[in-house]
Amino acid sequence: MVRRFGLIAIAATAVVLAIVSAAAARPAAQAAATASCSKGVSIGMQAPITGPAGSIGSDQLHWALFYFTQWNKTHKLKIHLVQEDTQLDPSKASTTAQALASNHAVMGVIGPAGSDEVQAVAPIFRKAGLAFASGSATRVSLTSGAWKGYFFRDVPNDGVQGPTDADYMFANLGVTSGSSVMVVDDQESYSTGLADIVGQALSGKGVKVDRESVSQKATDFSSLIAKVTSSTKVVFLPFQIASEAQLFAQQLQAQGKTAIAFGSDGTFDATNFTVNGSYISFFAPDVTTIPADASIVNVFHKQFPGATSPFGAPNYVLAQMYATAITKACKDGKISRAEVRKDVLKVSLKSTILGGPMRLTANGDVAGAKFHIFKIENGKYVTVA
Amino acid sequence: MNWNLFVTELVSGITHGSVYALIALGYSMVYGILKLLNFAHGDIYMVGSFIGFGIITVSGGATNLGMPVWLLLFVMLFCAMLGGGLLGVMIERFAYRRLRNAPRIAPLITALGVSFFLENAAQLVLGAQYRSYNSFSWKNPIALHGFTLPAQARISYAGVIVIVGTVVLVVGLTLFVQRTQLGKAMRATSFDREAASMMGIDVDHVIVATFFIGSALAGAAGVFNGIAYQQVWPYMGFTAGLYAFIAAVVGGIGSLPGAVLGGLTIGLAQSFSIGYISSTFSDAVVFGILIAVMIVRPSGLLGRAAVSKV
Repeated sequence: MVRRFGLIAIAATAVVLAIVSAAAARPAAQAAATASCSKGVSIGMQAPITGPAGSIGSDQLHWALFYFTQWNKTHKLKIHLVQEDTQLDPSKASTTAQALASNHAVMGVIGPAGSDEVQAVAPIFRKAGLAFASGSATRVSLTSGAWKGYFFRDVPNDGVQGPTDADYMFANLGVTSGSSVMVVDDQESYSTGLADIVGQALSGKGVKVDRESVSQKATDFSSLIAKVTSSTKVVFLPFQIASEAQLFAQQLQAQGKTAIAFGSDGTFDATNFTVNGSYISFFAPDVTTIPADASIVNVFHKQFPGATSPFGAPNYVLAQMYATAITKACKDGKISRAEVRKDVLKVSLKSTILGGPMRLTANGDVAGAKFHIFKIENGKYVTVA
Repeated sequence: MNWNLFVTELVSGITHGSVYALIALGYSMVYGILKLLNFAHGDIYMVGSFIGFGIITVSGGATNLGMPVWLLLFVMLFCAMLGGGLLGVMIERFAYRRLRNAPRIAPLITALGVSFFLENAAQLVLGAQYRSYNSFSWKNPIALHGFTLPAQARISYAGVIVIVGTVVLVVGLTLFVQRTQLGKAMRATSFDREAASMMGIDVDHVIVATFFIGSALAGAAGVFNGIAYQQVWPYMGFTAGLYAFIAAVVGGIGSLPGAVLGGLTIGLAQSFSIGYISSTFSDAVVFGILIAVMIVRPSGLLGRAAVSKV
């Protein structure tokens, strides 16, 4: 009995000590309000570097790393990238966000990649006073105001892409009131959000929308394609993985279907999605085809050989925006998260590797965003709208 | 009745089910002898698929093949089966052998560890990006051309190769197990390992052979998947392995005919649920079948109830 009371007393003491310690601990933002720029500045990066979306995440990482590598060669003020792997999992994104928030050297964050991840990490970064920016999270609600001043992105949101795609299908691809369109998502947050927007836009025009869903790991779409009838004019594929869209379009043709495959910006990849007669929407031309970007792309490929995805280059621009903001913030030799947050949202770049200027709206979206439509002809992406 | 849809779903289900059946056979063979669920088996299928992709790359790439398609298929299958078999033997030797007499949870956890190891090792060595067999673009595009079936349905040459190849391998395995000395030894060992050892059967040799054959079938499944469905990536083994495991359990874990029946059942369930219910619910249907079979017939469709002496 005495021993039991003793154990209880020890446990209670430990709990009280833990509560007192937690109450006494200052939030990371307060604990490191200002840091010196003399030893360099750190930017955190969250991306799905491994896991099922590893190909996208590693490409995003490579482009950001590439920018800072080139920056550090020519600037006295060094910027270091602190990598965190989220595996496109919101729970892992939260854990790694805590790590970045607690790292006093980190002044801003690139990432995370997915819209669900952004929602998971937003309260953490807001509490830590960190700006965070995504080059691929396109859900409309992310910039609806809850994270204003903290979250921004350099890619247009689904609210721009969805109606653009739906309008083009209606005006140019034989989609009419009464005809049908199959909309297939890949069960990831990027895809389901965009699929819903396009589906609603088409339904509003009287189009019959057949809403389907496949796993991002699926490779056999023949069962689904068998449901495509002669009245299905378009199959909309808001996939994250271009090769999956390629596979779908190939199997569509192999089954002799006449419906047109239409991919979203996630499928914009001239190496992996090449089925002739297909369409894709994207907010900029492929960076590997822009003549002004040739030298940058060549150096990038020397450092990181292999194909690149459409979600990679926007992270180069995010790194550029942070570097611009850090340069301004470090004019007095000191830097803080609050300064970086304030300055990065005001960055205005006259030209970027994405083929146009970059400026943000008050909510953190790209100002003047629009989407282009491309048609695949003889394996090449031709702008049609 | 839309016969075109029905026949298309039937063909799709049988093709996919054939791949699952080949992987499920490996699960059943290993479980039958060792009572071990080799969760790394799906990743052997992934390695087999990559071996096939490597052969395509070495012979010039999909659009510039340096050998006839029939020879390419033969070389891919041979190399994938040999590579898969050897990998299976290595896994048994280094990960499972010492745990043969350990509590069952130990080799189960080890198998999961081996699975994660293989996936991440593949990603580290080969990269995370998706690769494609691109059999739509071969000089004889076997995924694009094919036969026309009744009701204007189609089956590609690749689909025919998968189904016929699976039949050949299953028949070969059946003849091996029924008609050869080693096959008899495998059946005896799966019946009673201790008694088989007392009868003079080299149980170690039998186990190695079982792993080799089961893993070789998984390697072949990897190549079949590649030629029919193109995509190869380091995490492809997890999902296929999961469905094949369900197929093995539905058919009766430990039963070879059950593994084949289970594979076809799962493949057909997936395709018909996509065609007639919704693509969103195909997984729910598959797991629903698993639950239903477990409730009604816990030993599986063709499995036998285990009797233990008390």
